[in-house]
Amino acid sequence: MKRVLLLALWSGAAHVPAASQDAQWTMPAKDYGATRYSGLAQISAANAGRLRPVWTFSTGVLGGHEGQPLVVGHTMYVVTPYPNVLYAFDLTRDGYPLKWKYRPNVDPNAVGIACCDAINRGAFYADGKVVYNLLDGRTVAIDAASGKELWQTRIADLAQGETTPVATFVVKDRVIVGASGGEFGIHGWVKGLDLATGRIAWTAYNIGPDSQVLAQPGTFRPFYDTGADLALTTWPADVWRRGGGPVWGWMSYDPALDLVYYGVGNPGPYNPDQRAGDNKWTASVLARRPEDGALVWAYQFTPHDSWDYDANAEMILVDLTIKGRRRKTLVHFDKNGFAYTLDRATGEVLSAEPFVEVNWARRVDLVTGRPVLDSTKLTGASRGTVKHICPTLEGGKTPAAPAAYSPRTGLFYVSTNNMCMDYLAAQATYIAGTPFIGATTPYHAGAGGGGNLGAFIAWDAVRGRRAWQIKERYPVWSGVLATAGDVVFYGTLDGWFKAVDAKTGRVLWRFKVGSGVVGNPISFTGADGKQYVAVYAGIGGDWFLLAGDVRSDDPADVRPPADFSPDIARHTSQGGIVWLFSL
Amino acid sequence: MAVQSVRSLFAGFALITACRGGGRGGPAAAPLAVTYGQHVFAGGAAPAGATLQNPFRGDRASAAQGEVIFGAMNCDGCHGGGGTGWVGPSLADGRWRFGGSDGAIYQSIYYGRPHGMPAYGGLLLSSGAVWKLVTYLQSLAPPADVPTEAWDTSGR
Repeated sequence: MKRVLLLALWSGAAHVPAASQDAQWTMPAKDYGATRYSGLAQISAANAGRLRPVWTFSTGVLGGHEGQPLVVGHTMYVVTPYPNVLYAFDLTRDGYPLKWKYRPNVDPNAVGIACCDAINRGAFYADGKVVYNLLDGRTVAIDAASGKELWQTRIADLAQGETTPVATFVVKDRVIVGASGGEFGIHGWVKGLDLATGRIAWTAYNIGPDSQVLAQPGTFRPFYDTGADLALTTWPADVWRRGGGPVWGWMSYDPALDLVYYGVGNPGPYNPDQRAGDNKWTASVLARRPEDGALVWAYQFTPHDSWDYDANAEMILVDLTIKGRRRKTLVHFDKNGFAYTLDRATGEVLSAEPFVEVNWARRVDLVTGRPVLDSTKLTGASRGTVKHICPTLEGGKTPAAPAAYSPRTGLFYVSTNNMCMDYLAAQATYIAGTPFIGATTPYHAGAGGGGNLGAFIAWDAVRGRRAWQIKERYPVWSGVLATAGDVVFYGTLDGWFKAVDAKTGRVLWRFKVGSGVVGNPISFTGADGKQYVAVYAGIGGDWFLLAGDVRSDDPADVRPPADFSPDIARHTSQGGIVWLFSL
Repeated sequence: MAVQSVRSLFAGFALITACRGGGRGGPAAAPLAVTYGQHVFAGGAAPAGATLQNPFRGDRASAAQGEVIFGAMNCDGCHGGGGTGWVGPSLADGRWRFGGSDGAIYQSIYYGRPHGMPAYGGLLLSSGAVWKLVTYLQSLAPPADVPTEAWDTSGR
């Protein structure tokens, strides 16, 4: 197979010393293109079978350990779920002792406002600071050397149902943050903070009049839509004010175009009868200027989302040759089950192919950019129970588990779910600070029955098809690491951490870590010059809710197992542990 | 909402303290037959002295009305359909973090609890509506409370 695909390898944060970007991991997705690709190659398909655990550390926290560590120089930074402790490990000393730890005073009421476990998706290193979000609606900047707090800024309001597990993102002198709360009727936004002081420089809503969305005539040029106040006119009057549109996933940045990309989550409530219209810009990708937040283009993957198909999954920026033409593209694996390739300068959809079983739409019309719906799968309180919708609202792929891209194979590596749902919508009542949902959505196994509720796949975005897959018994909920050694890493809910051949999908090695994996593996070079792979164990996130019997810490809270997968707790329980592996 | 729930919770504690003290001057005044431990509110059983009784206990019509309130007030959004647990704890397992007596469940709803349980009393729900919620929760048949979960080990 001729590989003509090369990606423009984005250099890391401008503030990081140039010394071997691949030795470090300074931002959530490794690089601004969100490729999660490490250029390190000591660990190869030939020797990965000799990987072994070399170090572990209990974080002391039981919540779902999403996100990933950072490694800057020879210091590793780990953010825990609530109560959001930040640990700094000295990788130059025997046993990797702590340099310091930072224990913020986080409001415990945030735990009950967070929809889906008290998780945190990670920190960003820039300009000598480790910047991350506390669950209770604050962003903090910590001196990377001393652990001292440099600034903290209140960005979100628990009383309005806003919490802040999202990974931070730094571009030049802007820290860009968003809030969760698509299940609490928030009015979703992103904010740009000054990196030096924490001052809020701009606030851009995802819903509302152009003045709030920061859409200015001449600057804002969506590929498919025309007209003013699109994010207002696609909603019933005033409903937009509590229309959701959270930002809880990942961001990416193209320095040449000077555009930041992020996905927007679901409209609220889940009962679509309460919000006629397209509900822009929920379930969408937005491209903004980092300096002032100005909206440059937007594209809505799922207009009038009736299935909780948040679009918070990562936007991976690579240059691909599509139909003989070299394009600056953005590749996105949406909850709705389609893998999209967009022109990242304009928002034009170049291709959209299902990467899992999809039945809510037949295809995406590339002329209009809109999905061609199966009307029998539309939901709403007026429609009663709608049976067998694929995928579920967990997504064909969860946005919580970011994919990776290898420029060596030209393939994307994606954790996927093989589940479908029934959907019973009901009228929801808005009460500030309480859930605003209005749907019951039981899950069942997708194609092939319950034998594989998930799969780890390699996706060829140029051909719009799967290259290979590894079926997994449980939904796959970990992020992915691709490496120049042509080894790809991921973990499973039942606690297996695996190394597979990037070209063939052959499993080269696996190890049973201390808990199910919902975190994202990273790679770095240790002080001894060896390549290491780090990952969190610690089942949680949605699996804290769905498989409530994985918890053991509260004697007064005993829950039934997940009805669609009753034995996850046979293989794992909660517990946050950092694992390091090497040859 | 969250801030208010904390404030209300403190008010709740003050109320309990006032009832317990009864103007008789602290633990030394407790009857000899009552041990110190029985005065400590550690969950599971409220201390003696502040007993509230559910006026609708066992009434099926009130339980049915309580079930409607459970959905209408978004309780299911945190505690799950049927109260079996979601981001908030299970209310159907026969086990109670803050006590399972009539009054303890009532106070959890009315005044809220730490970690995000809002205070529904007063502003959002009348006292009678809270009691109907209590009646609904009490009607959820708890499992036999067998503390063992076992899996079939005969197959793979």
